[in-house]
Amino acid sequence: MSPLAAFFRPNAWRVFRRNMLAWQTYAWSSLAINIVEPFAYFVALGFGLGAYFTVTGYGSLVQFIGPGLLGFTAMNTATFDASWGCFERRVFNGVYESMVTAPVHPLEIAAGEYLWQACRAVMYGLLFLGVLAVFGLGHTFWVLLCPMILALSGIMFAIPALFVSMIVKTQEHLFYYFSFVATPMAMIGGVFFPLDKLPHWALTIAWFTPLYHAVNIFRALVLGRVGPSLLIDAAWIVAAIILLSYLPTRAIRNRLGN
Amino acid sequence: MPEIDAAVLVLPPSLSKPPQPAVVVRARGLSKRYGALEAVREVDFTIEAGECFGFLGVNGAGKTTIMKMIYCRIARSAGELRVLGLDAASHAQEIKQRIGVVAQENALDPELTALENLLLYASFFGITGAAAKRKAAQLLESLSLTGKEQSRLQELSGGMKRRLVIARALVNDPEMLVLDEPTTGLDPQARLLVWEKLSRFRESGLTLLLTTHYMEEAARLCNRIAVIDEGKILAEGSPLELIDRFAGQDVLEVIGGDEELPDERTVAALVRRRERHGGVHYLYNSDNRVLLHRLAELGFEPKRHVARAATLEDVFLNMTGRELVE
Ligand SMILES: Nc1ncnc2c1ncn2[C@@H]1O[C@H](COP(=O)(O)OP(=O)(O)OP(=O)(O)O)[C@@H](O)[C@H]1O
Ligand SMILES: [Mg+2]
Repeated sequence: MSPLAAFFRPNAWRVFRRNMLAWQTYAWSSLAINIVEPFAYFVALGFGLGAYFTVTGYGSLVQFIGPGLLGFTAMNTATFDASWGCFERRVFNGVYESMVTAPVHPLEIAAGEYLWQACRAVMYGLLFLGVLAVFGLGHTFWVLLCPMILALSGIMFAIPALFVSMIVKTQEHLFYYFSFVATPMAMIGGVFFPLDKLPHWALTIAWFTPLYHAVNIFRALVLGRVGPSLLIDAAWIVAAIILLSYLPTRAIRNRLGN
Repeated sequence: MPEIDAAVLVLPPSLSKPPQPAVVVRARGLSKRYGALEAVREVDFTIEAGECFGFLGVNGAGKTTIMKMIYCRIARSAGELRVLGLDAASHAQEIKQRIGVVAQENALDPELTALENLLLYASFFGITGAAAKRKAAQLLESLSLTGKEQSRLQELSGGMKRRLVIARALVNDPEMLVLDEPTTGLDPQARLLVWEKLSRFRESGLTLLLTTHYMEEAARLCNRIAVIDEGKILAEGSPLELIDRFAGQDVLEVIGGDEELPDERTVAALVRRRERHGGVHYLYNSDNRVLLHRLAELGFEPKRHVARAATLEDVFLNMTGRELVE
């Protein structure tokens, strides 16, 4: 079975359903946590810092940061639950252990987790989009494409996070991933400031991070400034999902497979 | 008188032989290595349909490792292993579809209710909707868990959790139920209840495979037992056979020093086997009354002694030693 074929297996959707069922027991707190953080950045930076600066080509900092934080939210929700949450499900709660005594293939578990992270990114992303709408952002039909990009982003960020959860020995080691990968990616991904004044090498690095492309698309959709270059960003994301999906297969089989 | 055609009386070969019991698990030279450690060393065994087969062994003997190879959780290092006629290495998913597994750790989902646990697990076998609900209700009832549908894990006692895992293992109407230490850590009442359920399954014809530390459990439930130590099968047979073969009918425990008994050579002639551990002499023999009589004739009347029938425990301790292994 290839990691992509696993998305189409019924068991992947049953794993998804299990996470949805469990989520319903802590939905409110989860929603609150995942919306407060981007909202705090949005208010503090957009309005606080934004009182002193404008961004060339965007007017206010609010206009610039608001849509960027949509990509940030997708990355955070998927990264956190696919690493911290999956570690818990695998090691502490025996969730995967019982799945593999039933005829669930380890790659179906992974696919179910990716689908679930896509769902989370869509739920929390749309909620934040609602917040943006209250502040006058995203009043365009292009935002209707946001759920699709949120879903793809959720999958893309979930894959490396799940991989890390499969190889670390203790849950605390996940902080290495958060501190050394996720946080720098947020800094250089074009969420908080435009990258055009950065040296060329920094821009090149940014181009190779997934967040950069997600943020490009969200900003264009929310501000209604859509151009053909977005197709390259979208293709980048799809290609990343396809290529990345092979990264954790060995680790997943080592942990859960026969 | 009509002539009988002799050819008609020749039965096809499949009917002329007594029916062969179906083999459910067949292991030959089965081995598992973890790095330098040989957890299972070339074991051979065959489990037939309808029997209850038990692996008896101390901590670390290799019981779980054998179970995990059978339920296709880990791959063998060498040897042959067929479950339901299928190779465990190449047909893992098919085997999992047809057996029930109660692993050593419960692995119940703490974020779901008891009923949700059952329904989710059933869905992995393709059992969904009304059929799954019906099956779940029936299993909860048969394991005396009715009324616990909406309970979460932390609200269930150890015995209830174990019965819930057993119920879960039965959702797919398995052809064999594999139980790794089904009653370890349960109090005597909870254990009795599990025994009662398992006996009922056995009577209904379900093939059971279990591991245990408890001699009583093995003696009660199993038709056949394999005593396992350090990854090897030391002996195999029915509980009574093993007692007879390795312990004798009776055991006389004499408490005290060497002065309580005649010299070693004389004792050896009177008993089948003797052992000494922690200030107790264990004399395995065929009849305690006869032995005590003989000892009295020789002028020895041990003041502090226990005369009892041999148990599977004696077999087990005889083979694996009375010292704590770890
Ligand atoms: N994943 C593993 N990696 C390395 N060694 C292992 C692993 N699993 C088991 N072992 C070792 O293999 C041996 C057999 O272990 P196993 O779990 O099969 O014993 P057991 O008979 O089930 O013991 P217990 O009664 O304590 O459950 C032990 O020495 C154990 O330390
Ligand atoms: Mg064990």
